[in-house]
Amino acid sequence: MAHNIKILPGATVCEDCTLEGDITIGGGTVIHPRVTIIAEGGPIIIAEYCIIEEYSTIIHKKSDKQEDPPKPLFIGAHNVFEVGCRLESPCGHVGESNVFECKCFVGVNVKIGSGCVIGAACHLSAPQTLVDNTVVWGSEHHVREALEKQPSQLLQLDFLSKVMPNYHRLRKPNIHKRQPSSRQSLDSSPKP
Amino acid sequence: MIPQVDSHYCANCLENMPSSEARLKKNRCSSCFDCPSCFHTLSTRATLAQPRPAPEAGGGDAKVENKQPKKMYYLSCFNCRWTSRDVGIPDQPVASGGWPERSAPHAARVSQLLEHYRAVAQQEKQDKLERERKKFAIRGKYITLTDKTGLTGAVARSIAGLGDAGAGAALAGFAPAVPKEDVEGLPEDAFTKEVNLKQITSMPQRLASPEWQPVSVSRLHPLAKLLSVKRSQRCRACDHNLTKPEYNPGSIKFKIELLAYYHVPEVKIISCEMIKPGAKSTLLLKLANPTGHEMALQLLPAAPPPPPPHGETEAATEDKDDSIEKSLDKSLKLDKEPRWPHVEPPAILTRVTPPAVTLTLAPRDDAAEYDDDARHEPSHIILWRKSNKLALRLELTTDPAAVEGSPARTALTVEYSYRNTVPQSITASQNRDHTLYTTVYLDLGTVGSAGL
Repeated sequence: MAHNIKILPGATVCEDCTLEGDITIGGGTVIHPRVTIIAEGGPIIIAEYCIIEEYSTIIHKKSDKQEDPPKPLFIGAHNVFEVGCRLESPCGHVGESNVFECKCFVGVNVKIGSGCVIGAACHLSAPQTLVDNTVVWGSEHHVREALEKQPSQLLQLDFLSKVMPNYHRLRKPNIHKRQPSSRQSLDSSPKP
Repeated sequence: MIPQVDSHYCANCLENMPSSEARLKKNRCSSCFDCPSCFHTLSTRATLAQPRPAPEAGGGDAKVENKQPKKMYYLSCFNCRWTSRDVGIPDQPVASGGWPERSAPHAARVSQLLEHYRAVAQQEKQDKLERERKKFAIRGKYITLTDKTGLTGAVARSIAGLGDAGAGAALAGFAPAVPKEDVEGLPEDAFTKEVNLKQITSMPQRLASPEWQPVSVSRLHPLAKLLSVKRSQRCRACDHNLTKPEYNPGSIKFKIELLAYYHVPEVKIISCEMIKPGAKSTLLLKLANPTGHEMALQLLPAAPPPPPPHGETEAATEDKDDSIEKSLDKSLKLDKEPRWPHVEPPAILTRVTPPAVTLTLAPRDDAAEYDDDARHEPSHIILWRKSNKLALRLELTTDPAAVEGSPARTALTVEYSYRNTVPQSITASQNRDHTLYTTVYLDLGTVGSAGL
C-alpha cells in the first residue's frame, strides 16, 4: 500500500499512531497518540479542527463494488472522535460538528450528517442515514433530535495544540499551501 | 425488619431538609434538575455571551458599551446532550436557581380538591366527636361540670347549627366535576399523518412529569430532582435498632450497624466441578470467621436445626412469648405486615457429604495479613488455612433424577459457636457462648448432561 500522508500546516499529529494509505489531515486538527487511520479502500480526507482521541480507529474499508478511481472518505470539520471509537466507512461523507463518543462503533453503510452525536458505546451497524442534529444515546439506542449543532471544541483544540508538543513527538507538516492561505495557516498554528 | 425514614436529602447537592420541608417541596430538590429526556442529572454549563447590541443602534458607541462579555448559564445533560436551550428556556445570569417555573394547568383544581377533602375530613371528625358526646350525655346521670357552668364554645356553636365556620364555607364553595357526554373527536389526519417519533415524547418521559405530561419533545422541561431518604432499620420482633445511618448526607457511615456479616461465618464458593445427574463432584468452599473470637464449626446435612439443650429452651421460649406479646400491639398497628416472606426451600437434588469433623476458625485479626505463615495441614478435607479463613473440599452427590439444564442447588447447615459480646444483664452473663445454626443454600450453576 502506498503511504501518502499529507499533513497540512497547523495540524498536530502525534508520531505514535498508525497511518496507512492516502490520508490528508487538515490544519488545526489534533490527532492523539495510538490512533489508527487506515485508508485501504480509498483516500481519507480529514478537514480542519477535528479532534481524534486515543485508540480511535478510522478505516476506509475496501468493498467489492470499488469505484475507479476510489471515492474518498471525507470527514468534515469540527468532528470529535472520542477515546476508543471506531468508524468503518466505505461510503463517502461524514458531515461536520459530529461527536463520536467513547467506544462507539459506526459500521459500513451509515451516512452521517452534521451535528450528530453517537453516544458512548452505541453500535450502529445497520445501513442508515443520520439526518443533521441526530443524537443517539444509551444502551437502547434512543434517538432524539437536537435543536442546534454541538458546540465546537475550539478551546480544547487550542489547549491540545499547545500542550501536545511538550509531551509527544509530532509528525511534521509536509504540505505547504500556496501563498494566500499560508498566512492564514500561520495564524492558526500554535503559539509557543 | 421495619424500615424507617431518617432524613430527606438531595443525592446531587447533598442538602438535607426536614421531612416537613420536603413535603412542602413535593419531595423535590429546589436547585438540582434531572434531564427530562433521559433522567440523568443535569449539569450547569457556562457560556460567555456577548450581549446583542440593539438593532437600531448600529453606531460605534453601542459596541463599546456592550463589549463586556457576560457569563450566562444553561442546563445540559451529558448523557443525551439535551440542553435547556432545546426547549427555549432562556439562559440564566446566575449559576443556580432562578429557572423559570411553570405552573401546572390543573394546579388550581387540585388545590381546590385538596381543600375540599380536608374540609370533609374535618366535618366527619366533628360529627364523630359530637356523636360520642351525645352518647355520653344520654348515658350520664350526673351533672357534669360543663352542664353546670354552661356550654363550651364548640358545643354552643354546634347547637346553634353553625358547625365549624371554615369547613362549612369550604364545603359550600365546592363545585363538583361535571361529566361530559361529547368528547372532541380526533383530528382528520390522525391516522394518515406520518408520525415523527423524534418529536413525540415517550411514555416514561410523560409520566416523569405527571402535572404536564408533555406530548411533544419541545415541551419537555427540566425535572426538579427527587429527594432520597436515609433509612434506619428496626427489628420487627424486639424493636431494636439494627442499622441507623449518620444524619449527614455526605457520610456513608452508620451510627448503629448490626449486620449478620459481622457475626455469621462467611461461606464462599471457590470452585465447583460440573454437576451431573447421578455423579459425584467436588466442591471447594472457603469459610471465614468475621468475629474476634475463636469459632468452632461443623457442617451438617441440611435439616431443621436440632432443638437447643433443655435448660436454655425454656428460658428462650419464655422470652420469645413475652416479646411476641409485646410486639403484637405494635405489629397490629403496623397493618400486620408479613413477618418474613415465607420462602419454600428450593428442591435439593444435590447432596453434600459433610465431613464429621469439627473445624476451628481462628479469630479475625486485621494485622494477620502482614505475616504470611500459611500453616498447611494437608488433609483430605482442609485444603489450606490462613489466619481466620480456611478452604474445604467437599463431596457432592447428585440425584440421578436431576434434569439437565435445571439449576443445581445444594444446601448444608452450618453449626457454629458464637460468643455474645454485647453485655447483657448480670443474670445472663453465664451463657455468653451459644451454638447457632444457619442453613446455607448454594447455587452451583446448572446441571450438565450426564454424558459429558
